[in-house]
Order: sequence, then C-alpha cells, then structure tokens
Amino acid sequence: MGLTRKYWKGIEELKETPEFLKHKEQEFPSQQTIEQFLADDNLAETSTARRDFLKFLGFSVAAATLAACEAPVTKAVPYVVKPENVTPGMPTWYASTYYDGNSYASILVKTREGRPIFIKGNHEFGFTKGGTNPQIVASVLGLYDSERLTGPKANKKDVSWSSVDKEIAAAIKSAKKVTLLSNTVISPSLNRAIAEMTTALNGEGGSKFEHVQYDAVSYSAIRQANLKNFGAPIIPGYDFSKAKTIVSLDADFLSSWLLPTEFAVQYGQTRIPGDYMSKHFQFESVMTVTGSNADYRGMAKPSELAGILAYLIKGLGGNPGVNASVPAGSKLAADEAVKALKKSGKNSLVVCGLNNVGLQILTNKLNNLLKAYGNTIDLTNTIELFKGNDTTVQKLVKDVISGKGPEVLLMYGVNPVYTLPNGEEFGKALSKITTVSFASHEDETASLCKFICPDHHALEGWNDYKAKANQYAIAQPTIRPLHNTASALESLLVWNGKAQREGKDSAVAYDYIASTFDVTIPVGDFAFTTHNSCSDVAIVPATLTYTDASASNLPKGNDLEVVLYQKAGIGTGSQANNPWLQELPDPITKVTWDNYITMNPVTMEKDGYVTTYDQEHGLNTATVTVNGKSVTLPVYPMPGQAIGTIGIALGYGRGANGEKIGKAAYQTKEYGGHDLGENGKPKAIGANVFGFVSTNNGTYEYSNGAKIAKANGTYSIAATQIHHTVMGRHSIVRETTLDIFANRDKEAYNPAHKLEKLNKEGHHEERPVSEFDLWDAHPVEKIGHRWGMTIDLSSCIGCGTCLIACQAENNVPVVGKDEVRRGREMHWLRIDRYFSTEEEAAIGTKKDKDNFSYDKAEHAAENPKVVHMPMLCHHCNHAPCETVCPVAATTHSNEGLNQMAYNRCIGTRYCANNCPYKVRRFNWFNYPSYKKFVEVNPAQDDLGRMVLNPDVTVRTRGVMEKCSLCVQRIQSTKLVAKKEARVVADGEFATACSDACPTNAIIVGDWNDIKSNIRKSSEDKRAYQALEEVGVKPNIWYKVKVRNEENSELNKLQVAEAKVEHKKSHH
Amino acid sequence: MQKEAAIREPLILGHKTYHDITEDVCRPIEDKAPKMWYILFGIALVIGLYGVGSICYLLGTGIGVWGLNKTIGWAWDITNFVWWVGIGHAGTLISAVLLLFRQKWRMAINRSAEAMTIFAVFMAGTFPLIHMGRLWVGYWTLPLPNQFGSLWVNFNSPLLWDVFAISTYLSVSLVFWYIGLIPDFATIRDRAKKPVAKKMYSILSFGWSGRAKHWNRFELVSLVLAGLATPLVFSVHSIVSFDFATSVIPGWHTTIFPPYFVAGAVFSGFAMVQTLLLIMRKAMGLEAYIHTKHVEYMNIVIMVTGSIVGTAYITELFISWYSGVEYEAYAFLNRATGPYWWAYWSMMTCNVISPQLMWIRKLRRSLLFTFFISIVVNIGMWFERYVIIVTSLHRDYIPAAWSMHFPSHIDIAVYIGTIGLFFVFFLLFARFFPVLALNEVKTILKGSGQSYKESPDYHEHH
Repeated sequence: MGLTRKYWKGIEELKETPEFLKHKEQEFPSQQTIEQFLADDNLAETSTARRDFLKFLGFSVAAATLAACEAPVTKAVPYVVKPENVTPGMPTWYASTYYDGNSYASILVKTREGRPIFIKGNHEFGFTKGGTNPQIVASVLGLYDSERLTGPKANKKDVSWSSVDKEIAAAIKSAKKVTLLSNTVISPSLNRAIAEMTTALNGEGGSKFEHVQYDAVSYSAIRQANLKNFGAPIIPGYDFSKAKTIVSLDADFLSSWLLPTEFAVQYGQTRIPGDYMSKHFQFESVMTVTGSNADYRGMAKPSELAGILAYLIKGLGGNPGVNASVPAGSKLAADEAVKALKKSGKNSLVVCGLNNVGLQILTNKLNNLLKAYGNTIDLTNTIELFKGNDTTVQKLVKDVISGKGPEVLLMYGVNPVYTLPNGEEFGKALSKITTVSFASHEDETASLCKFICPDHHALEGWNDYKAKANQYAIAQPTIRPLHNTASALESLLVWNGKAQREGKDSAVAYDYIASTFDVTIPVGDFAFTTHNSCSDVAIVPATLTYTDASASNLPKGNDLEVVLYQKAGIGTGSQANNPWLQELPDPITKVTWDNYITMNPVTMEKDGYVTTYDQEHGLNTATVTVNGKSVTLPVYPMPGQAIGTIGIALGYGRGANGEKIGKAAYQTKEYGGHDLGENGKPKAIGANVFGFVSTNNGTYEYSNGAKIAKANGTYSIAATQIHHTVMGRHSIVRETTLDIFANRDKEAYNPAHKLEKLNKEGHHEERPVSEFDLWDAHPVEKIGHRWGMTIDLSSCIGCGTCLIACQAENNVPVVGKDEVRRGREMHWLRIDRYFSTEEEAAIGTKKDKDNFSYDKAEHAAENPKVVHMPMLCHHCNHAPCETVCPVAATTHSNEGLNQMAYNRCIGTRYCANNCPYKVRRFNWFNYPSYKKFVEVNPAQDDLGRMVLNPDVTVRTRGVMEKCSLCVQRIQSTKLVAKKEARVVADGEFATACSDACPTNAIIVGDWNDIKSNIRKSSEDKRAYQALEEVGVKPNIWYKVKVRNEENSELNKLQVAEAKVEHKKSHH
Repeated sequence: MQKEAAIREPLILGHKTYHDITEDVCRPIEDKAPKMWYILFGIALVIGLYGVGSICYLLGTGIGVWGLNKTIGWAWDITNFVWWVGIGHAGTLISAVLLLFRQKWRMAINRSAEAMTIFAVFMAGTFPLIHMGRLWVGYWTLPLPNQFGSLWVNFNSPLLWDVFAISTYLSVSLVFWYIGLIPDFATIRDRAKKPVAKKMYSILSFGWSGRAKHWNRFELVSLVLAGLATPLVFSVHSIVSFDFATSVIPGWHTTIFPPYFVAGAVFSGFAMVQTLLLIMRKAMGLEAYIHTKHVEYMNIVIMVTGSIVGTAYITELFISWYSGVEYEAYAFLNRATGPYWWAYWSMMTCNVISPQLMWIRKLRRSLLFTFFISIVVNIGMWFERYVIIVTSLHRDYIPAAWSMHFPSHIDIAVYIGTIGLFFVFFLLFARFFPVLALNEVKTILKGSGQSYKESPDYHEHH
C-alpha cells in the first residue's frame, strides 16, 4: 500500500498541466545560464545596478558591524576521542600526598577535564585525617604559574635534557667531591636512589659523594636533645588528642610547628566541650595561631622560656637544674599550668618550639616527669620530617664559602641563598663550583646555578613519602607535565646511569617507586596504595629509655629579643609567588601582602609609634639591627606580644634581586605594574630576615638579640580588619568557661534574646525574639531541603584553610595589596578575629553594662584573649539584601539559600549596605581583565586561568557576589542522589570550607533532615545565631566559645545573671 | 475716608508700570550678554566638562575609581544624590504649595526656583545612574515587558520606588515649569526682532495669543498641576528617605526619616534659591522685584524648616538612647564622638545653630548675611547626608568589618562637576528664558490706583 502512495509537489503536477510537463525535466527554471546572464551587454546599463549595489553594500556593512558588536567568540575544542575516565563536566578525584619540605598531608586532588583545580585533605586515608593548611590547598595554583621554568637550562640558556644530562654526568664523574644538598628527603625511592648513587660514587669507604639534608627552618634541636636523652636522634610522634593538658612554649603547633596538619586535627578533637576538654597553656612572645587558641597564654621572651620550664618542673617536684623564674606576664599561666599538669599527669603534653637543645632537654625532662612518654608522646611511631642537622649544614656552607667544598653541588628542594643566615656569601661562592638546581623557578639559588633541571610540580609527577614511621604514602600525577620538566628522581637515576630519559610520559619514576614499594612493604598492594595514596608499615616498638641530661647553652637574655616566626600563608617563603597566600589575611594581624615588625602597642605608645592604621594612615617604620644586618619594616601593633620582644615573619623579601620567581611575588603600584626599586628591578614584598637567625652551639636559633630604631616615614598597610575588638557585643560573640558550661544551664551563657509581648491574659511577658515576626515565614521549613551551617567558635582555630579552599572552589579573584588596603578584598569567607579588652569579662561580655566605655573597648588588652569567627553569607530566611534589590537579582531559593543572579545584577550595592554581616563583595573592577590586576590575579593569563573551577561563573565588573554555600556542590550532590533514586544522605554534601576545616568546626547539611548532624548541632545548648535580634533568621548558627579557664569576672556575670533569671520565672 | 492697612510691604518696589516689567525681564534676553556671563559660563562649562570626563572614566573603568569599599557601598554618590534632590525641593514647593496658599510673593521667585529644581533633579538623577555597577543594564529597573521570561522588577525595593518618585517628580516639575513659561515666551516672541529668535520663541510659546480663553485654561492647568505637584513635594523626599528607613542599618532604620527629610529638603532648597537669587537680582537688575521682603520670607521658611531639622536631630539622639538598642545607641554615639565627629558637628553647626540666627529681624533682612547663611546651610545639608550615609555604614553591626571612607579625586571631581553642570544649565536659563514670571508678576502690580495714591494730587485732597 505504502509503496503505491503518490506524492505531488503542487496542484500543477497533480493535474499534469502542459506547462508543468514542459518544465518537468528542467531542474532550474531559468533558461539563461549564469554565463549568458553575465555576458548580457545591457547589464551594465540597467538603471538599478548601482543603487542595488549600494543597497547591498550598505546592508553588508551594517550586518558586518552588527556582527562585530557581539562578544568575541572563544573556541572550545571538544574531545575528538574521549579519554577514559574523563567525562566532561564530571570531576575526577585522585588520592595523593603533599610534601614540600615543610608541610605534609594526605590529599585529594580534584581534576576537571584533565586539569587539577582543587586540593583538599583526605579524610579517609592517611594519618593527617583530612588536615591541611592554607599552603597545601593553595599549592594547586603554583602548577599554573606562568613563570615556572619550562625546561632545563645551562648557563641561563635553554638546552635539551640530553645535553644537560651529558654535562652533569661528566661533571659528577670527574669531580673529586659531589654533594647533594636537599631538604629532608622522606621519599623512600629518592633515598634509595641517593643510596645507590652513594654506593656507585663512593665505592667502599670512599667519601666522594655526600648527602646533606637542610631544612629552611630547622628542628635539629629536638633530634639532638633526644639523642642525649634517649640515645637516638628522633622526633617522636605527638598525640594532642590524648593530652588533657597541653603546654606549649613558643611552639605554633596548629599552624607552623613540625606537623600542624596532624596536630590541628588532633587538637580539634579535644576542643569540643563535653565531658572533657583539653586545657591549653601557651608561653610565647609573638602571638601565634596556637597562642590565640590557648586557654591561658603567658607572654615571655625566648630567653625566659627556660625559667618557665624550670618553674613547671619544680612545681611538679622535679629538679630542673636551671634557675626557675617566671616573668610577670606568664605568672598566672605558669601557676595554672602546674595545677593542671599535676591533675592530668601522664595525659599531658609539653612541646617547645625553640630550636635550642637545652630547652628541648628541659622539655623532655618535664615530659618524662609527667610520664608523657608512651602516652601522649610516641617514641616508636616517629616523625620522619626535618632530618637536617645544623652542624653538618654549617660545615658544608663554610666549606663552600671558603672554596674547600665540593666541586659539584646538587641542590634539591632547597633555596639556601635565600634561607641561610649567610646566604649571600654562600651565593657568591657558588660561581666557583659546578652547581645543579632542581628548582622550578630561577629563584635566588637557581639563578646562580650553572644547571637548572626543573623538577615536576608536585601534581605532575610520581613520588612516595614516609612522613611517619608507620605510613608509606604515594603522590601521583594528576596531569601530564605542562612543561618539559623531569622528575628529580629520574634525573638522579639518569645521572647515575640507572635509567634513560623517557620524555614527558616517562615511567622511570613510577617503575622505580613501584619497585621500592615492593622492597619496603613486601606484603603490600601497590595498586591499592596508589588508589588510597597510603599504606601502613609495620613497625617494631622502640625500646628507648630516658636518661637525664643537663640543659646548657640556653637562649641568652637581651633587652630586646627578635623572634622569627612563620605565617600561616607564607611559611618559609617557598610559595611567596602564590597570590592566594599573599592575600590570605594573617590569622592574627589580618594583614596581607607584607611582613612587619610586631610589637606590643603598650611599648609602641611609649616609644611614639602610631598604633592605629587604615586605608590612608600607615604605620611607622623602624630599622631592626641584628649582628650588623638590618632591615626596615613597618611596626605593627600586636597585642599579646611579650614586652621586650619583637617578631618578624620569615618567608618575605623573596626575589630581592629581581629573580624570576613569579609575578605575584613583588610589590605592585597603585594603577598596576610592578613597583621598581632603585636597581630597576621589581621590589620584593617585605624583607628577608633569615639573616637574623643566630647560631647557638651549632644549632640555628630563630631568635636573637636586636636593636631597634624608629625610622622616617610611614608605610601603608593592607589589612582586612582595622577594628580589633567586638565592643562588648554579646549577640555577635558569646563566650563562657568550661565550668559554667558544664554546670549551668543554657540561660547562663547562651541566653535567648528576649522581647516583651502581650500574652493571652493581656500581661507583658518576655518571649524569645524568634517568636516575633512581622513577615510570613519563608516556605523552606519542613519542605524539601533547607541547607544550614554551624560554626563552632570553640574548635575554630583561625588557621585560614577554609578561606583558601573557598577562594579556590569559587574562583574568588585576587585584588592585590592596593585594593585590600582600600577595603576591597573579595574573599567570600573571612575570619573575623577579636581581641578581648579591659572592658570585657570575656569577649562579647561587658564587665559593667552601665559604665561601659566604648572608648576603652576599642583597645585590646595588653595580653588579650582571642576569638576567631568565620564570617560568610548567613543565607537569611528574611534576607535584608533580597528585599532591597530593585531588580530581584538576589533572591531566596526554596532550599533556604540566598542566591545571586550575577546576570541580573545592576550593581546598586544596596544589598551590601543592608547586610548586617557585611559579607557581600562587589566587583569594583573587571578583575579578570583590567590591567591593574595583571600581576596578581591568576585569572589574568591563559595558564593561570586553568585553575578556575568551571562549575562557578567568573564574575564581571559591576556585579555583587558572595558566598553561595557552594551551591554547585549542592546541585551535584543532589544529582548523584537523584540518579541513585535516594535522598541526599547526611554528610554527603560539604562546602569547600567545611571540607577544609582541620578541626571540624564547620558543619553543613540539610537542616530539614531532623536526624542530621547540622540539625543536632544547631539545637545544641551552645548554638546561637549572630545578631539574632535583627530578625533576619539566618541559616547559620555559631556555637559559644568555651575556654577552659577560671574567669571570676565572667562567673560573676553569667552565674549571677542566671540567678536573677531564675527568680523572675518563679514570680 | 477709606482706611487701608499698611502692614504689608509692597511686593514690587518703585513705580513700575506693566511695560517696565516687560522691559526689565526681556531686556537681558534681547541684549547682548554681559562679559561676566561669558566668564561665569566658561568657568561652569570647564568644571562641568571635567565632571563629565570623570564620569566617563568612571564608566569606563569601574566603580572602584571611587573611594568606596566592602563596608561602605554608598558615600559621595548617594550623598550627592540626596543633596541635589533636596535642593530640587524648593521649586515645586514655591510653585505648587505656595500657589495653593495664595502666597503672592512667590511670583517673583517661582520661575527661577523651578528652573533650579529641574536642573537640580537632573544632577540628582545622574548619581543613581552612574553609581550602578552596570549602567548599561540600568533600564532593568523599569517594569518593562521583557524577553527574560517572567523577570520583573522587585516592587519591595525602595530603590525602585525612587525610580518612580524621581521620574514622576521630574516630569511634573518640568511640565509645570513649562506651562508657566508659555505666556512669557509669547511676550518675548512678540518683541523679538531677529527671525531665528522669533521662530524659536514662537515654537516654544505654542501659539499663545493671550486670549481670555487661553488665560482661563492657563489658570486651570496651573491649579491642577499645583494640586498634582503638592503631594509630590512630600512624596519624593519621603521615598528617598525610605532608601534608608526601610533598611536594617542602625542610623538608617528610623521612622522619623520621611518628615525629617522633607523638612531638610525644603531647608536646603530655599537656601539654594537664596544663593542663586541674591546673585541674580543684582546681576540682572531685579532688585525691585526680589527685595528684602522676599528674602525675609524665605529666611523664615529656612528658620522654620531648620528648626524642624534640628528637632529631628535631637529626637534621633534621644530615641537612640531611649530605645535601649545597643547598635542604635552606638551609631549615634559614634556619629558625635567617633572618627567622623567633625562631619557631625559641622552638620549640627550649619543646620541647627545657623538658622536660629534668623530670629533676629536685622539678620534675616540682611542680604549679605542671608547669602552667607544660605551657603552654610547647603554645606550643612551635604554633611547631613554624608553623616547619615557614611557614619552609619562605616561602623554598623560587625566591628571586624568596620571601615573608613576616603574619597578619591574622582569622587570629588564628579561632585564638583555636577555643580558646574548645574550652573551651565542655570546660566543658559538666565540668558535665554524669562527669569521672572513676568505675566504673573504683572498681576500683583499695584495698578494706577496705587500710583495715584502716591501722587501729590492724592495728598492734596486728603
């Protein structure tokens, strides 16, 4: 039937008219061919030709112009052949390990379409248990640094690998002495390769090859002290989670000391008040992240720490052998510490951050007295980091300088010209010998080396690590090497004749690591280990016993002592070119893009320094002189700084001679471009103070006697916070003591804000503010999801990891020092830091409500207590920003989110003004393309742009932005659940910040799920909403900060007030 | 014998005839402009163009060229906006409210006051436009049918109310002003000799012939428009004040704002009228029409509204303490004693103390003193808006976010530029438009009867 159906094109065909039949065979109706048409002589004479031409011309020009008005077309090249395991739009996660010589963590790397874009801690595998720090999270940006070396160099010229290999191998062969100067090598494979090289070059009993390990910041005193006390130069494992009393002397174990990624996680477990909460004492000079979290903090000079240790030893009935004396600023803390240590006994842990053998011996003595060994201190599962021996390093440096050193010096993972106290001399001596650097940049050292054989970025190559005795970890590549770099392991193997170069897709390192694995863990499964990133190693329990040793060469006292410390972002300066880290506000000072001299404002006022600063008013500068070397830096008012001490952060002043270490490592001008110094080279940020490091009996000590002189002029400071106290505002910060928390009801320390209301009988009655509402409730309760968050002020340590994680996840632009100074940083999540004042019993609690002096409340106490308060969009259910937007660009989702439609925003900034939390961020300029941001904004160049998260829009100029509660993650979590036909499970969704938090202070989830963690957390006795009385009904709860201290003032208020409340309710 | 109360001073001094009035008003338009006009116009133009250039730079680069920051999202931009809108209040008040109240003295000043209003509203309107991050999509604030699906404006937003309030106010003021100008344009047209000018004025005068019918309609329309404009006098600044009053920011969230803003606006508007007219009467020889009595009347308005403003300030202070709201109390304490104390006390001095001097008859009749005070009041009123906007924002709820505002040179250039542009418009107005509502003024001229009374004949007979 179907085959016989007839189709016709028109009525003519159906009727088969003669006309139709005539033209049927002709495809084109015209009988004239084009040639005929054009050959028509009359064509040129037709009257309309010219006008038609003009019409067409006009139309074409208009059309072309209109077409040209469109945005430029950016081509996206699709996969021609889809790689296995890569689904466009879906992230691929790799378990890996991070180690840079200073920080270590088990990590997960997120890649999108083959690009690593995000690093987070691995919560499931590895002893760091998800703990990271800002530097680790930010390191992904370094991969896309446009100034990374793209291939090997010899004498500053680009060369091929084959030619450098030949020259270096020949040099090694012919040299009498070859030294490898590296950071602490914790890689079993690299150690094996080095051992093979040693065997090959030294033969039997030779000493041609030597491997010297050198850490930018040394911990060799701990190993030296343990050698004396236990006969083994070990760094034991510490377990802060077991410690009921923690005493730290200048050890910033939450941010920079030893292994903070592990310690912060452990510490966090003990800081959630419940049946028990650790009691933390800190004695220090500069206020560190750790000190800011202490329950008791004593101010002490480095030279006074020995006296404090002796006091504690004496208090516990030991014989310190050293004069026990406690400075006034530490008296209370020391007395309380003795009490607490007595009480907790073996569940105590004492750590000392000073690299002084005598102090470490005293610390060991105290730990031994407490019986901490075997309890909180593990002598078996040792920390394998920081094996540098200062004496050996100093000998090598001396030899190189005097010309008696090795003929070939290989330098891996170190930058001695920058980090040595006598780096400059060392650098000058390098020209005399054959030097090889594995550095990724032409840094201070590499730029003086003959050969540079750049190592892969950590995310590009294979590696293996053993940071603690019982764990073997793997680092795996997450991207094919971007440049013509080669694994340092491979280079060593090649030069030792054990392997051949295999180019970009080389398997040399992989094969070698796999074979090392078989040797290290014969029973292990390598494939499984690469999947999880780590594997346990069996260890034999140590049988070390404590022998007493005398503490000598203790730090000498000086009128003014300078303390060199590491900042959370910059550390030892290895990532000084990372704009995320430069713009990370220091956890305590909130200053970005600079180092400075910290000094107690009490001293500053006495000596005539200004103690306040803002956009237009900088700080006075001063010149600090140590051992004839001096630097001039601004003087920052740091409450809590021990009187008689100043602090300066290490890691600044990188690239002071204009070395190409990355665009963001230099000072920029107000309208863009690098600020050039007198030598025509870009000015470094801050000053290098490694030169101030002193040597005490062979160990590097990070404190020294100093002289300070006020210098001329002021220096502008870019800080994200210029007001430092909470002004007694109880609805912002709530604080109590463990005692009150444990023994009193909620009303005592976390009372609901109440208003008066008429009850049914017509009497006035006080009711919680949550019962008052002029508006209809937003329909998010009990229906679908309602995303919420709780932030525990007790366990938040203020480390700043969440901030960097947020920046990486949400493509938050970097704006540079000048813009931060103008108060325009873009961070969606900030951490407000409040100092206590003399007017407050605890932060946020006025001592005397009637005689509260706002004037005095603006000044931090001399040694203040600190609260870190992460602040982000509160996703208010009655959001004040939503009502005021004239174009409804910010609206409420039916899942309780306050969402921004960037496309709709016209930029009136009314929403930002009306936000009580001040968390909205405006795009003042076109950050991805405006010239001013070329130097600092990673999204400005083609390579840097690769780090952008494709799930999050890059915002244009003139629109408002803010925390979205990682809505892209919510959506993907929901999609996964939907595909699997189930509801979203509790804990399945995490924001970048909650994921990054080492202490689990941030909990997120679906508040409508009544069994969820977040719901329980928000209904906790400690939960409160900041600025609840404004009535915006936020979806974020804070939890009262609990300090494990005696606070009679607070006791008086909170306990007394609770009694009053009690009476009222009975009447 | 006929007794006449001699309480009221005459509104037009001297023995002016109808013809004199026509001559006095039309002469400046018909004559060549004096050199001074060119100099002033040149200066105003240069300043105005500098402002326009700065605005272009702002639009090309981003709002970041201003001194705003994450805490202070509005500062000079909205301060200037409110300041100009406030200034723009006097014109309509004079022409509409005073018309309804049959205040004849308004006739001498209403034309230029209305012109001032319109130009001030132009300047005011500039700021909400250029303060937007993305001016090019600013039309989204209009409830236009669009292709974005059901995307509509947010009728909850006071900024949207502003859009309606300001545009309504501008259009009604413009129509009102223009209607008044029609008979005067016709007079100029009839006198014009040059063909171009004649043509221009004949277009502008809409074929006015002066017939009784025309006058009848003219009067009716004026009354209707006055009726329409009167609520606008109160609505515009009330709505502008809602920008602040409906927010949650301490120092902004205040129910007193609408009346306080309206009084402040009239206060500043009259001050600006004083500033302009005191110069203009001298420059254009209008001393007979705008004289001490007018100035005194206006000074009384300034004194009354200034007192209302002062009361409002003190009420605010009292309520901030009495409410017991911590943030509110601090906001006002901070205004008076915080880092912006100088702005607060400038405002207090200029707006509360200076108008009280007008109780002294001698001072309020002194032209020089009036001129001085009019400037002081306008400075004070600028500070009032600055104090409200900046000192409330710079220290609101979260102390960690507290900040300071430092204007950039672009902030200053844009502000000064609008003053320049304002004077460009005003000088053009003074040059080409009848600055006095001459046909209206003629209605209050005491006719031949008065002249007779003052003639020697009259005295002889009595």
